Amino acid sequence: MAEIILENLAHAYAPGAPYALKPLHMTWRNGGTYALLGPSGCGKSTMLNIISGLLRPSEGRVLFDGQDVTALDTGKRNVAQVFQVPVIYKSMTVGENLGFPLVCRGASPQKIKARVETVAERLGLTQWLKRPANALTADMKQLVSLGRGLVREDVAAILLDEPLTVIDPQLKFDLRRILKEINEEFRVTMVLVTHDQTEALTFAEEIVVMNHGEVVQMGSPTELFERPATEHVGWFIGSPAMNFLPALREADRIVVPGTGLSVPVTGPLPQGELKIGFRPEHATLAPTGGHIEGRVARIWFEGSDEVIGIDRGAHRVKVRASGTSPARTGEPVTVSVPGDRLSVFVNGKRLSSG
Amino acid sequence: MRTFYLALKYLAVLLWSAFVIFPFLWMISTSFKTANSVTAGAKWLPWLQFEPSLAGWQSLFGGVGGINILKPYANSAIVTLSGSAIALVLGTLAAYGLSRFTFKAGPLGNGDITFFFISQRIMPPIVLAIPFFLMLRFLGLLDTLPGLILIYVAMLMPIAVWVMVDFFNSVPRGLDEMAWMDGCTPVTTFLRVILPNALPGLVVASMFCLIFGWNDFFFAFTMTFTEVQLLPVSLVALNSSVTPWWSLSAAAIVSVAPLAVLAFVVERFLSRGGLAGAVR
Repeated sequence: MAEIILENLAHAYAPGAPYALKPLHMTWRNGGTYALLGPSGCGKSTMLNIISGLLRPSEGRVLFDGQDVTALDTGKRNVAQVFQVPVIYKSMTVGENLGFPLVCRGASPQKIKARVETVAERLGLTQWLKRPANALTADMKQLVSLGRGLVREDVAAILLDEPLTVIDPQLKFDLRRILKEINEEFRVTMVLVTHDQTEALTFAEEIVVMNHGEVVQMGSPTELFERPATEHVGWFIGSPAMNFLPALREADRIVVPGTGLSVPVTGPLPQGELKIGFRPEHATLAPTGGHIEGRVARIWFEGSDEVIGIDRGAHRVKVRASGTSPARTGEPVTVSVPGDRLSVFVNGKRLSSG
Repeated sequence: MRTFYLALKYLAVLLWSAFVIFPFLWMISTSFKTANSVTAGAKWLPWLQFEPSLAGWQSLFGGVGGINILKPYANSAIVTLSGSAIALVLGTLAAYGLSRFTFKAGPLGNGDITFFFISQRIMPPIVLAIPFFLMLRFLGLLDTLPGLILIYVAMLMPIAVWVMVDFFNSVPRGLDEMAWMDGCTPVTTFLRVILPNALPGLVVASMFCLIFGWNDFFFAFTMTFTEVQLLPVSLVALNSSVTPWWSLSAAAIVSVAPLAVLAFVVERFLSRGGLAGAVR
């Protein structure tokens, strides 16, 4: 178990090539759960491979508990990884699979047996120990992969590279719960790579949102939800996505023309496109008297909530309301948003004071 | 209807089996015949249709006008087994390297290196006879077992590399990476993780090596004179102006026996699911 520091880290796959991972600096607390969230090809797997040592970063250092491991081989870093496609040693039994990391490290047979039994019991694999690992289902193979990390008491971190992609939805839920429980029980640092926001939000204490090789924002699920650093995060996190309406500056206020939405502003603003954004969850509907007037275009359900899509000119505003609302498709309606729930974005970046 | 198809299937299998087994039966019965019973037409059942004789078998073990097969048999076994073993060890290591690391020599890459290996087998052996002969003479290894082993390693290694590169390529790279994370060194990764997964390939490669080595006549003939004789060469000495079908049949049975046993063992191994699991 270790605190992981990525010190001024950056990576380009060839000298002079564009950054696959733009320069960043972050600290991951010992025993924490982290998620790297972003679309495919955003650099999250690159970051994971740098931590595990499969890849040498072209710039910066990786520190485990203050010790520089940048030049250290994967085997010496004591990390475990669960891959997207279940990878197991097909030629071995489940028990041998679980014990293999200890065998590689030269532990005594008694110790290996004891650890394997403990971990197998925790993961519910006890009855499978003597079976060939190849006979397991995909989700159980992922459990075995996880077990190979847990079997080492001193494992620095368990890296999960989209481990739930090939798992059935119901089992996905179970596996996620097991991951969370394991983290609480073993207090081992876990890093989950995913492009699924639900997975990231339910699993991690802190989420690193990435896009185009850049860390866009790092924060708790609430922070990402309440104060998205960029328009991209607003789009990516939350369902439905954040509403964005084009805005203008009028003296000391930023307003959305033709609506009652406005945010006070002082001092000069950076040049660029202005937008006001708000979460569908923070908006409410009223027959009259709201900030935005429009017409109900569509209503659909998300869980027990209802999402109402309201058309206003060329823009659609979404409102998320719990339970069923009196709104009817085609009828005029107004939307109100509390002033403190409005955020101003300049060129896609959130204005910190807004 | 189903039983009809089943019957049809069994009939086809039966016919095919008869087709395959027939030459062997013929060989076995001929090995117990004399000149008269061979020329007297198709006769199958000993004692009833012809009087069995052990002359053919005796000629293999120092009988009149025959040879002693034991020494060449042992020689062949030594040369084939050690040649195959060395070729497999070197070939498997080379194949793992070619499968997992990127080599560059100017415009040439891994594929070209692999092709270079197999190109040794594309050349007709006669092309290699003179260089091999000169090299062995230079080393003083002409007409010796080590000399022959050396030749067979050179001839069999391309097969091992060719087969194993393919099998290693089919073993996912994630397995290597996982083994590193579990704390394996590159050597233990290869021996304990990758090799067991490529075991079916190893079986196929060793089968090819043993068959090619055991059956080779050309190099066994050109690289030896009097001291060392391998089985295929020694069998030629059985022939004479009147073809001794009985001796040749006995010799054929003796020399094909190890390969038949090998095929039987390998077939059982491969069908037990080794390959099925490897291909997924």
